[in-house]
Amino acid sequence: MLWLSENILFASLLFTTLSGVVALGGRSLVFHKLSQTLLAVSGVLGLVASFKIFLAPETGLQILVEFAEFFPVFQLDLFGAIFFSLISFVSVLCAVYAGPYLRSYQETYHLPSLNALVAAFVLGMQMVILSQSPLAFMTGWEVMSIASFFLVMSDRSQDSIRAALLYLVMTHLGAAAILAGFLFLSQGSLFIDFSTLASLAWTAPSWLLWTCFGLFFFGFGSKAGLVPLHVWLPEAHPAAPSHISAFMSGVMLKVAIYGFLRVLLFILPPIGTTASLIILGFGLLTALYGVLYAVVDRDFKRTLAFSSIENIGLIFTMIGVAFFASSVGLEGLYQTAIVAAVFFTIAHAIFKTGLFLASGVVVRAVHSRNLEKMGGLAKRLPVFSMFFCMLALAAASLPPFGPFFGEWMFFQGLLQSFSSTSALVSIVLIFTFTLVALVGGLAIFAMVKLFALSMLAEPRSVHAQEVHEPPSAGELFSVGVCALAILFLGLYAPTVLTLIGGGDMTASPLELSIGSATIQPSLILWLLLGCVFLAWIGRRLTSRVEHEREYHGWDCGQPIDASMEYTATAFSAPIRFFFRLMLRIKKRVETQPVVASNPWIVSHTSTVHVRSIWMDFGYLPAGRFLLGVADQVKKIQNGNIRFYLFLIFATIILTLWIAL
Amino acid sequence: MITALTLLIQVVLVLLIAPFVTGLVRWFKARLQGRQGASPLLVYYALLTTLKKEHVISASRSWMFRLVPFIVLGVAVFLALSLPLLFSDSGISQVDLFVLAGVLALSSVFLVFGGLDAATAFGGMGASREMTLAALIEPAVLTTFAAFATVAGSASVQDLFGQGMTAISHPALLLSFAALILITLAENARYPVDNPATHLELTMVHEAMILEYSGPYLAMLEYASSIKLTVFLLILGNLVWVKPDLAFDPTTVGLVGAGVVATVIVGSFALALMESSTAKMRFFRMQEYMSIAFFLALSGLILTLVV
Repeated sequence: MLWLSENILFASLLFTTLSGVVALGGRSLVFHKLSQTLLAVSGVLGLVASFKIFLAPETGLQILVEFAEFFPVFQLDLFGAIFFSLISFVSVLCAVYAGPYLRSYQETYHLPSLNALVAAFVLGMQMVILSQSPLAFMTGWEVMSIASFFLVMSDRSQDSIRAALLYLVMTHLGAAAILAGFLFLSQGSLFIDFSTLASLAWTAPSWLLWTCFGLFFFGFGSKAGLVPLHVWLPEAHPAAPSHISAFMSGVMLKVAIYGFLRVLLFILPPIGTTASLIILGFGLLTALYGVLYAVVDRDFKRTLAFSSIENIGLIFTMIGVAFFASSVGLEGLYQTAIVAAVFFTIAHAIFKTGLFLASGVVVRAVHSRNLEKMGGLAKRLPVFSMFFCMLALAAASLPPFGPFFGEWMFFQGLLQSFSSTSALVSIVLIFTFTLVALVGGLAIFAMVKLFALSMLAEPRSVHAQEVHEPPSAGELFSVGVCALAILFLGLYAPTVLTLIGGGDMTASPLELSIGSATIQPSLILWLLLGCVFLAWIGRRLTSRVEHEREYHGWDCGQPIDASMEYTATAFSAPIRFFFRLMLRIKKRVETQPVVASNPWIVSHTSTVHVRSIWMDFGYLPAGRFLLGVADQVKKIQNGNIRFYLFLIFATIILTLWIAL
Repeated sequence: MITALTLLIQVVLVLLIAPFVTGLVRWFKARLQGRQGASPLLVYYALLTTLKKEHVISASRSWMFRLVPFIVLGVAVFLALSLPLLFSDSGISQVDLFVLAGVLALSSVFLVFGGLDAATAFGGMGASREMTLAALIEPAVLTTFAAFATVAGSASVQDLFGQGMTAISHPALLLSFAALILITLAENARYPVDNPATHLELTMVHEAMILEYSGPYLAMLEYASSIKLTVFLLILGNLVWVKPDLAFDPTTVGLVGAGVVATVIVGSFALALMESSTAKMRFFRMQEYMSIAFFLALSGLILTLVV
């Protein structure tokens, strides 16, 4: 009886809680290790429970049925299990990673509170997935948000605190919107479960549905990082410790997508063409802006954060296309795009977790997040850099990795629907297709920049020359598992699709099929490997291998050093130039004479600033406006007690007048 | 079995004639510019000599430096294998346009890695430029292929380029055909995107990236670009004349042989003529070129849907 799935699921939650409790035991490393072990166990149990559902999707798991009188039941269905398994998978890897990783940062972070908060964070996310009522959902959501708020500022530096406060404001605006959405729909009751809520929604008037859709879109969009609500993301994700960044980017954004899809698919009635076009438009905008900033940014973790924004944009684009297709009667495209969105979400959780975990190793080795100070790590950390390379190629959606097949499904779906219906539909689909292609191209640029500038060539700073702390076995394991998982996700994409309920899109256990097109991921991989092997054989047969000599690079006759290498700023210069209308770049060259008497001998200093138009034209003016209004309001606080008494009196009169 | 045999013949043939195509383009170019020109067969000797030479490897490189030539050459062989180059139904039907675009990007990415790994300024410059071109050509590539796929009713490259869809039989494809030519020039580092014959480092893109490679690795990279050029010329040829189905009777083989020879000669001549009569574009005007390619492709796609 102990192996009942319900018990396993419950045990998973229990172990997460225990992990947090144990962490509070003290500063000794024993508690730290024990806490991580418990979190890993919780993750493994969560994976087992999710897989039980994947294998028998009809039977949802319900826990806490005994308390159903007081509290809506917690339930895991197939859709929730997809996201639950992601949370579990990432918790296992992050726990294995955090064991050795946090040991290097014992002075920086307060380990007991950090570990306890991580457990609370994970528990919050698990609760969101399991909840079947607005109350439980919002509780889990808030636990997740507040825990992550504290996690962002766990190094207690000024920058982190600023980032965390920005995050807190944005996430609570979002949470308030979601709560308001639920309250509007349920007519004020938070205790009803989602199925009742759905039946209420189906009979609701259309203005109410529009309001709720707007609120949910704002709420989940701000959590997921949709432009223009993304401003917190590139600040908060890099500020957190790397395994927290992995949690936030790898799964917390997915929880937002889960919430959005849960509301759209299971609660609200089918949204119309206009609403789906809004999702699509914001998705495309997000993807394009995210990827452009990912290309031009010079901070390792910020690049990853912008890349997350881009990927979220792509996922929202897929969701938008799906609902658009559904509203214009393209059932096939609807299926394909939804499954592609979920598949891409899974892929993103895996590779972004891996990349953020890798960023921890890199940042610790170089003592900086600045790409301009990195380089040369591939020589010093060969195995690690190979894993990192796989993850970067996967993030660039190149074959034969998982994300490529996610995009493949989406592209195939679009392509086959070009000519099927009215001109307007075709135009929307073609526009999406080309823009996603552009984003895909730029994403390759961003990932190549990230990998090549940090790993290849000569070290650009003293710190990068000697890696004092090579990655430990646990860290390497976590990054490696992510790298292999993203490869296998591509290879076994048909199996994965069958498990998550997209079985219609597999022709055989080895083949994906969208409409008339089929593809066999393993065939592509083996063909590529075979061709590379042929090249290897050819080289062995035609030339002598040992006939080589090591020498410095071609130097035009004068000694060459790392300061002559291309930097991240220089590398992305063409894109900065070509997209200068969309990016706000402030480039300043200052010239100062070295010798006062000679105007020709001068030194130049050049600074390139990348600004965000959303900050400059949106948030900062809004903030100034609010502060200005507050200044005006302050005038009534004149310190005169009689005036205050008058205000209280006026308030009472007004309240009575409204109430009666 | 027959399919495997055809694939083998196709790969061997393309690999064999690839250096000749590069040599032929150079010879035509020399003749057009009033020079005597080296024999087209010189490229074979050059490749064989480079293979025998000692490999001087940069001290700054990592494991990536050695991996690059294998991946780049491997992708070139992949192209020669999977596209319908000889018969209308040779190639691999599972390879579709997205795989094709992805694999082309993969090859560019690894070249860029190679360029950066050598830690010289030239390598970095070439890498940055190549990456920009590869990223910006991506929408044009996918849109062009999408137009072909819309007409063919399938996304497999076999149906796209093998099933007798020519610019003559499907006039709606003319714009896409023009876009494909622009893509071919960009993908193969030819005028006006890149100068394949330059010795001035500042104007190089492709050559700057492979500057640090020597000996067998250089031979592999040069060979890979020859193969890529040959494959693209044969693909463009597919869109002008209709290939016969797979058969081994003398007429078919003769027809295919004549077709390949004609494609290679006409294609090389056209390329040489174009390279002799235009100038290389300034790199920072490249977005104009890419925009033209993209809007041609887009108009082509819309045209195929309207017609």
